[in-house]
Amino acid sequence: MHFIDIKNNNNERHSWIDMMLTLLTLEVMSFFYNGLHSAALAAVCLISSLAAEAVCLRLMKRSFTADDLPVSTDALITALMLPAVFDYAPACIACIFAVVAAKSVFGGRNNMIFSPAAAAYCFLYTSWKGQILLFQQPHDTAGVFETPETLVNSASHVFNTSGKFAYSGFELLMGNFPGPAGAVSILLLLIASVILIARKDISAGAFTGTVIGVAVMSAISPCSDSFVSSFILTLCNNMMLFAALFIISDRRIAPKRAYYAFFYGFFITVFAYVITVTTAKENAVVIVSVLFTPVSLGLKNLEKKIELAVREDLSPGASGMEVKADVQ
Amino acid sequence: MYSDPANKTSSRFDGLLADNTVLSALMVISPVIMCSDTLRNAEALIYAFSAITFISVILCSFVPRKLPYAVKVIIYAAIAALVYIPVKSLAQVTYPGIVSRVGIYFPLLAVNSLIVFRGESLFYGVKKARMITSLTFYILGFDAVMLVTAVIRELFTYGTFNSHMVDVSPTVSGLGMPFGGFILLGLMCGVYRKVRSALRPASDAEERKEGSDVSGN
Repeated sequence: MHFIDIKNNNNERHSWIDMMLTLLTLEVMSFFYNGLHSAALAAVCLISSLAAEAVCLRLMKRSFTADDLPVSTDALITALMLPAVFDYAPACIACIFAVVAAKSVFGGRNNMIFSPAAAAYCFLYTSWKGQILLFQQPHDTAGVFETPETLVNSASHVFNTSGKFAYSGFELLMGNFPGPAGAVSILLLLIASVILIARKDISAGAFTGTVIGVAVMSAISPCSDSFVSSFILTLCNNMMLFAALFIISDRRIAPKRAYYAFFYGFFITVFAYVITVTTAKENAVVIVSVLFTPVSLGLKNLEKKIELAVREDLSPGASGMEVKADVQ
Repeated sequence: MYSDPANKTSSRFDGLLADNTVLSALMVISPVIMCSDTLRNAEALIYAFSAITFISVILCSFVPRKLPYAVKVIIYAAIAALVYIPVKSLAQVTYPGIVSRVGIYFPLLAVNSLIVFRGESLFYGVKKARMITSLTFYILGFDAVMLVTAVIRELFTYGTFNSHMVDVSPTVSGLGMPFGGFILLGLMCGVYRKVRSALRPASDAEERKEGSDVSGN
């Protein structure tokens, strides 16, 4: 007999609401800086993801329920990682790719192996690299079908190549520098991280691991004048904070136990830092998080084995087969 | 789930669809993933695969069946390697530049699983006429997948069809990369299995049952 875990389902739905609130806040900030194009891009991502999810669920002979709504958070995360003036068609294709190739083919929301938004970003990064790394200046707003005349490299690109960041601390906090639509609003991201960790919507272990990873690497090999500036700038550039919050700490992907999640986040950051410092590759953390899928799967497998062993210890009377079936 | 040629219910046309070399058995997938990003590449690989496999399997069918399996596999590989030499020479003339572009995947075709491993179970136990027909359809099965993959990838990666510009927008350059080929082939395999199970649900259900019985034991 199959029982529905109501408590778990409610938690998932509450997490979805929290995530949506924080993402929508970032989207409002992006709208303020970049204009209507940013909001339209988010809408395109949202609609295409929901449509693709509905079709995939239909093909899998399942119905669309409230538990499938997290697809909308993935769509918004994807939209917020893109330049606000990114073309609609590639964004739409990427969202469909995320739902179909990165999620549904592995069995849907219960069997996800990597973040659909990160997969969508990697797909765009390889297919539209010229476009995905060009941004408008803040306040250079664009209408729904408009494109600003001048597009510039992101502040992260300048920082990666020269080690310099030409914006003040206030501008950094407020997101008043060129970069991905949602990843530049540092103050909002910090507030969101506090809220999401407090409400247990993201993996605190993975988030801490990411931040500690940045700190350790900044101490070992600072990419700026001092440890403090290196730590702050590394965390705020290359979508590091955004990825730490919405991709690496995604509870669906990160290991459940804080101990394993910590090392998962830590190693992703270390690899991303090394790649950024040695190759100046922009937003390497997103690519590394996708490449670290086997690590996450390995840690989850280890967790399952530990859980199984603990259950066997606790219930010596139960047969091995029953325990195994229960865990599965 | 391979079809057994000795079994009367299996058809000599199985290689084209029901037991497709690439989509069903997942054999010879590396050239499809790595090199089938243009129709020109696909043509060269189709020519090489068809020529090497057809001639090699025919020649290999004359190898005495009483020999130990390990020895036979070595002989099959040696025959395929010998056939590869003239095929490559001709390919360099017919498809200049493609052979070097395809790289290691061109010689790898000479030791494909159809010749070295599956030939034993699929072709050598039946009469020559049936063997040739069956072999032809297995080769055509690979060729068809290669062509379809190449057309889709060239169209949506470069916006061209056989190097002629076609108005496709937007183009997805990631589809021309290995990961794009992997994903496309994976999706094609999924669609193929869905179509196959829709066309013959009873036999597939039996196969699944047999499979579960075997794994259960």
